[in-house]
Amino acid sequence: MAKLPTPQMLVASRPDFPKEHWLDTKPLFAPGSYCYPEKKETMELLHMPNPHNWDPAADDWNLPDNWEKILCDAFEERLEKHRSLKLFMDICVRCGACADKCHFFLGTNDPKNMPVLRAELLRSLYRRDHTALGRLLGKHVGARGWDKNVVKELFYYAYQCTECRRCSLFCPYGIDTAEITAIVRELMHEVGLGTHWIMDPVKNCSFTGNHLGIKPHSFKEIVEMLADDCETVTGIRPKTPFNEKGHEILFITPSGDVFADPGIYTFMGYLLLFHELDLDYTFSTYASEGGNFGSFTSFNMAKKLNAKMYAEAERLGVKWILGGECGHMWRVINQYMETYNGPTPANMETPKSPITGTVFSNAKATKMVHITEFTADLIRHGKLNLDPSRNDHIVTTFHDSCNPARAMGLLDEPRYILKHVCNHFVEMPENTIREQTFCCGAGSGLNTEEIMELRMRAGMPRGNALRYVQQKYGVNHMACVCAIDRATLPPLADYWAPGVTVSGVHELVANALVMKGEAKRTMDLRQEDLPNVDADEAEAVEG
Amino acid sequence: MKLTKLLHEKHEELEALWVDAVFKTYSEKAIPHLSSNADPFTNPVGNMVKEAAHCLFSALSLDDITIDAVKQALDRFVKIRAVQDFTPSQSVGVIYLIKPLLRSHILPAVDQHQLSDYLDLESRVDTLALLAFDMYTKDRETVAQIRIKEIRNQYAQLKRWAQHFNAQAPLGTFTGCGNQGCK
Repeated sequence: MAKLPTPQMLVASRPDFPKEHWLDTKPLFAPGSYCYPEKKETMELLHMPNPHNWDPAADDWNLPDNWEKILCDAFEERLEKHRSLKLFMDICVRCGACADKCHFFLGTNDPKNMPVLRAELLRSLYRRDHTALGRLLGKHVGARGWDKNVVKELFYYAYQCTECRRCSLFCPYGIDTAEITAIVRELMHEVGLGTHWIMDPVKNCSFTGNHLGIKPHSFKEIVEMLADDCETVTGIRPKTPFNEKGHEILFITPSGDVFADPGIYTFMGYLLLFHELDLDYTFSTYASEGGNFGSFTSFNMAKKLNAKMYAEAERLGVKWILGGECGHMWRVINQYMETYNGPTPANMETPKSPITGTVFSNAKATKMVHITEFTADLIRHGKLNLDPSRNDHIVTTFHDSCNPARAMGLLDEPRYILKHVCNHFVEMPENTIREQTFCCGAGSGLNTEEIMELRMRAGMPRGNALRYVQQKYGVNHMACVCAIDRATLPPLADYWAPGVTVSGVHELVANALVMKGEAKRTMDLRQEDLPNVDADEAEAVEG
Repeated sequence: MKLTKLLHEKHEELEALWVDAVFKTYSEKAIPHLSSNADPFTNPVGNMVKEAAHCLFSALSLDDITIDAVKQALDRFVKIRAVQDFTPSQSVGVIYLIKPLLRSHILPAVDQHQLSDYLDLESRVDTLALLAFDMYTKDRETVAQIRIKEIRNQYAQLKRWAQHFNAQAPLGTFTGCGNQGCK
């Protein structure tokens, strides 16, 4: 008779785990830990290399026959093109400073999610083909050759990195793991391996301008509905200028804020603020996506999608671009755009606030200003009439979105605004904010629902810090300046700190904004009753 | 020696042994980090396991502890195990790893007449495991719910727009296409 295992035998994976050397331990493609693959038709439409049908959970990924040559050549080409990559391959001394800084490692406790080992997956291949020692001594110096399992492993871990760059902050050499991940993803695309959640928005942005592929007239109608909602709340219907030539400013923001809850309230915040300022601006339906899912695909795709911004700035004849609350949009703009799409069109000038006269010389190269820089400047000059008591039911903290924090140093402006529009602001622990901020766990195209388990464990360090301030200081709200965060933090909060709501900064700005000629505010932008409004007073207003 | 006194004496040692047993469910290369420091933000999983250990052994020692307090202290631990790469039995079954520790460290010192007390003690481990199992199930339900909620939120405004569009068309005239020539 067969014996039942003891609880210990069921529970403990020891003593036979792991049997193999770490490089030989292969990932398990379990549901919840990998993104769905992209459709062949989409890859064909985008002229991506080697489009084919495949299933991450299958043994055979149907790679092209000459897959190894394609990958070796593609890797070599990138080593020649990106000197930084070659440097990152050579320079790491495996000191381990980055090891425990990655939210994926902290949440999964999978050693290959230590940035040093994740990069080592590629570095081991580099050693064999591009170093004398590796060629001679092979495995003894950590070199290995390509095989199909290595491809699977690279794919698995390249999509367990959100390119947040927290590890780079602690690396004594400044190795940018995000760039390594970006290049591994590029290599995977060379053999036709991509994910649906990234490539579908890339396709939609390529053909229609926004990530859901909503046609321009419909996009405009949806924005107008949001303007109607603004009127319901404030009694004022803000204007919604689209594709109008001759304005001073082009406003570009992630399209997620037009479609997704709760981002739409941040968008309403923009509309109301611009109306109050009587800002001379226009939207574009062609450049209606600030986010750039191309940057999660390849450098060339990122360049292609970003080109629309300057193309529209030129066509519409604006002087500069004001950008909404987005994360990776700002890394692409600050780190790559000059190289991708520069120089800026001749009609563009160094941004100057038409309200305060402040010249944003920091944006001289890109001609693009982040909206929190713009609004913080307005508040600094006393140009906004604010009533922070309207947000008195909120005890808010601020989540530094990885890219604005680490790629453009946008740390104080959002806080400055929050402190002027809310009376109760609490910081999360020091080692989880500002440059050291923890990722939401789902950036860089990982904000898809099929990997919710992965997101909940990778977002745990952020959720854990949020839970701490919720329990210790009664925090019930988290503000952020990234559209992906506005999509990914609500589920994270629901799991790790239930009861905490999430919004963009400009939703809170518009709630506190006392507008000229507005009706008495009895509800916030979500059309929820403001608890601090006197009930009789509210009835009188309705009457 | 009375069982409770014995447990109090061995509390710290047993706690540490159970923490080690839980750490060993992770990859060997991750263990040095998990045992490295007690900071809840730089080593959150290590901190969660230690918080859970303290709570579990306090509950076993018959310290004054309520079910709510146990749930509160186990919450983060169960939550992280519920979304890591474990089977359900591996996730919450680690609580049963307390039993072999009790049998090796407590049982040998138990007199014949204390056997009933000892069996009660092991039953309390069962109670704690069942509590954790309820929490685990609730957490998995939450993951399923937030997945659905997220899908709805992504297209919230689009759905409103579609409903608005439908509402504008007189009943029975909607053809599914805005083009008048399209039938």
